[in-house]
Amino acid sequence: MKEIKEFGFRQTPPATPLRFNAEKCIGCNRCMEVCMIDVMTPGEKGGHPVVSYPDECWYCGCCVMECPTGAISLHHPLMNQTRWVEKASLLKNRKEN
Amino acid sequence: MSEMKWPYPAKVSQVNRMEADVIVLGGGIAGCMAAINAAKRGQSVILVEKGATKRSGAGGSGCDHWESAATNPCSGVSPEDLVQAMLDDNDGYNNGISHYIECREGWDHLQDIEKMGGKIRDTEDEFKGAAFRDEKTKLMFAYDYKNKFTIRIWGTTFKPAMEKECRRLGVKIVDRVMVTSLLTEGGKNGAKCVGATGVHTRTGEFYVFSSKAAIITMSRPARVWLFSAAYPGLCEFRPMCTIGDGHAMGWRAGAEFNMMEKSVRAEFSSAGRSFPPYSAGNNHNTWYPASLIDAEGKEIPYADRDGNILTDVEQRFQPAKGQHYFLKGGNIEQAKYAYDGPETLPYDKLKEMGYKLPFYADLSNMPELERKVIWGMMVGQEGKTNVPVYKNFTEAGFDPTKDVLQCYGVGWTSAEFLPQERQLFGMPGGFMNDWDLMTNIPGLFVAGDSLFSSNCFGHAASTGAYAGRKAAAYAAKQEGFIAPCETQVANEMERVYAPLGGDPVNGVSWKELNEAIAKAMQNYCGEQKRDELLLSGVDLLNRYEKEIVPRTYAANPHELMRLLEVFDILTVAQIILQACLARHQTCPKLEFYRTDDDGKAMAPFICIHNDGEKVVAREVPLDYAGDIRENYEKHNQDYMAEKTKEVQA
Repeated sequence: MKEIKEFGFRQTPPATPLRFNAEKCIGCNRCMEVCMIDVMTPGEKGGHPVVSYPDECWYCGCCVMECPTGAISLHHPLMNQTRWVEKASLLKNRKEN
Repeated sequence: MSEMKWPYPAKVSQVNRMEADVIVLGGGIAGCMAAINAAKRGQSVILVEKGATKRSGAGGSGCDHWESAATNPCSGVSPEDLVQAMLDDNDGYNNGISHYIECREGWDHLQDIEKMGGKIRDTEDEFKGAAFRDEKTKLMFAYDYKNKFTIRIWGTTFKPAMEKECRRLGVKIVDRVMVTSLLTEGGKNGAKCVGATGVHTRTGEFYVFSSKAAIITMSRPARVWLFSAAYPGLCEFRPMCTIGDGHAMGWRAGAEFNMMEKSVRAEFSSAGRSFPPYSAGNNHNTWYPASLIDAEGKEIPYADRDGNILTDVEQRFQPAKGQHYFLKGGNIEQAKYAYDGPETLPYDKLKEMGYKLPFYADLSNMPELERKVIWGMMVGQEGKTNVPVYKNFTEAGFDPTKDVLQCYGVGWTSAEFLPQERQLFGMPGGFMNDWDLMTNIPGLFVAGDSLFSSNCFGHAASTGAYAGRKAAAYAAKQEGFIAPCETQVANEMERVYAPLGGDPVNGVSWKELNEAIAKAMQNYCGEQKRDELLLSGVDLLNRYEKEIVPRTYAANPHELMRLLEVFDILTVAQIILQACLARHQTCPKLEFYRTDDDGKAMAPFICIHNDGEKVVAREVPLDYAGDIRENYEKHNQDYMAEKTKEVQA
């Protein structure tokens, strides 16, 4: 565990919808300009935008579709992630019953 | 956050004045089609959009099917038959005018969108030989394969193509400006519409638009009963910025509304309760007619309207014996017997038969092209599924040939909602319209989800195009511009900017106010209505308007936009309460239930407006549109002649 000498504050985000790959991002801000909710504001010059209003994201994915370098990933909050299983595992249940 | 500086220049109190023959308020599907069609008829057009027109609106990110294209070359149903079915299915509580426009003109506008660059055909022959594909036109259909009036579309390509077409035609697009009010002649309630005001959502600059005709193409209301401060973006089905601003400014200007008492128990809200639409196992819309299986992999039977079990997947796309066509299948909207489509058996029956929860959607046993068109095309094109579902699930290893996706709740549903958790869904109320899609306010037209009883993408595009050409014809007949009433402009500026001068420490935020409105509506305007409850709601909301609105605070233009939206939600909630008070009998087709029903005959449409001092209600016959075909043709001789000429050419 890394050494902790002092504490800070973090606003408690209920979700972090967008993650940027800093190596791929070219800082063009096209994602920010296409967002209909305007959840992002400009970041440092050449860098990716800041997600200033993450709670307002409606998860449409337009920013991801617009990104010319594939630098953005979009993920629903944990509670919204659905589950799938291999069908074969259900059939196995039936045999056991 | 509080240490961060706002990155855009502050232009509060700077006024930008603009003028165009036609102004279109809202840049979604309906708005773009309205702007394009007005511009094509030679009028100067300004399109004002709160977000960014390229992808904004409920249909901006995508759409997988276009309904009711009754005049496409493969259709087995006439537009007259289809609109009659829509009216009959709702006992007349539906918009015969706008849905006839959708049924009759939809195919024309879809072809126009194709010319702009939208993809509507399987040109790569990816689905060659599929039962849903017409080999000659390469169109692909959904639901009823015999009658072929619902077209599968590559909707993610549409909005950027429309935005480009707007620019090609010289439409002046004003993005990031929230329209806040309508301007009327002399500033009078109900008088001719002469423009609108707006505020820039990044700089706070104020806009005054002058026009000869205006078209409201904004959304249906939302976040009236459902709110989550943690996930405001996920409260409702449509984008969080589409909350019915148009309804609110129309009401304040004196426009008339119809069916605003209708609300339905929530179906889609993913702020915790349900899962994102089409991301969990289900068999409706995008996923129709996916197979469902139970916890032990046993397939759940589909049945026709008579309860006959359908043994083959192919039968899920066919009308029942003796039935011409069906409207929808897959359980979501229970149609009347005459129009009812194939569905899985009801859950209670399945429980009796020993089927075990949880259920799963199973594409693995479907014909290959049916599987590919659902998991591939449809999930890849629908509004909120391309990236968060199709791309992400695929990257995480979901394989539709062997994996099955869990359903939550019973059957296809992804949640159970409480009776008081309501939404304006399933053809809700909106602006009252005539055959020109004009409102009672001269020069004010409406299209898309602003209209009463609106529904889908095709309806938005078709009514948008129609309103665009009607507004252009109206504008062409006006002598000139009427100057805005400066008192009206000044009052609106004061209203709009007030929250920026609020108390940064104790000021009420948009979230606190929205949550309070939603709770009030759940308490006083839930499933069961009665006068005492509704009147208590009116009192409480009036108090919020008088006492709380002046105590709100916004730190920047973005938060100001969110707050102005909530003011609009407050107005919408007041319209809904007034509409409920005006209807005195239970009306099942409006999902309107009174515990103090006065026992008299059920009223037809009840239209209400605010005359500046009080609310005025009047009854309108359900068949006010008259003979649909005859009246359409009477009002559209020019368009019909244009189309005939095109065909001859």
